[in-house]
Amino acid sequence: MLATYLFFGLALLAVLGALGLILFKHPMNGAMSFVVTLISLAGLYALLSAKLIFAIQLIVYAGAIMSLILFIIMFLNIQERDLPIDSNRWFYLAGGIIVVAPIAGLMIKIAKSLPEEHPELIDGFGDVKTVGHLLFTEWLLPFEIVSILLLVALVGAVVLAGKRGVN
Amino acid sequence: MINNYLALSIVLFCLGILGVVSRRNVFVVFMAIELMLNAANLGFVAVSRLHVNMDGHVLALMVMAVAAAEAALALAVIILLHKHKGNLDTNIFSLLKG
Repeated sequence: MLATYLFFGLALLAVLGALGLILFKHPMNGAMSFVVTLISLAGLYALLSAKLIFAIQLIVYAGAIMSLILFIIMFLNIQERDLPIDSNRWFYLAGGIIVVAPIAGLMIKIAKSLPEEHPELIDGFGDVKTVGHLLFTEWLLPFEIVSILLLVALVGAVVLAGKRGVN
Repeated sequence: MINNYLALSIVLFCLGILGVVSRRNVFVVFMAIELMLNAANLGFVAVSRLHVNMDGHVLALMVMAVAAAEAALALAVIILLHKHKGNLDTNIFSLLKG
């Protein structure tokens, strides 16, 4: 079963990348390990035969959003002494684990109790054509609202960050 | 098969919560929120594979568009705060505290 091995390898990479994100001290190292998580998630989408989402995850998330974040991190030129002192980070981490772990255990138990079936794929599942058809017929109104949201975010970012002589 | 994907999605979401709770660096908090969005996306796509129904894919697309908008705005706000305070600590950014 190649798919099972691939799943466990990619899942391990994703969890390791997420652990690196929350444990590395410098945000640059955290961002690089988060890129590993995003790329292995793209591989998982490909295993689930979601071809369009696979491509968009690579292009938009691992490409555009992460390069924007990396650009800003480098732009602010963060040194070791600029970082906040995370002295009681392990304390908060332990508290968070105590709160989150029972909920996560319960939800994983629920997920494991779902039926084990693996239904046959229909023709063109996850293709650009079929997903696009769905997007422009049943999901037309949410699509338009998202386009307005993107426009508002664009204008807002320019207004916020593009001001000259703030002081 | 699908159960493992959902379990992975839950684990990633909880790691995102832990990142938001335990770190004070504003970049790490922001990327942990992105991690939670990604975990939700994985859940959508997995359930969509279980039911052989592509609505989950469209929802994942919407989440990605919202994440892109959020990234643009949040990074602009981070630049402004860094310009004003010269710091990246989330505890410094308590401007609305009464």
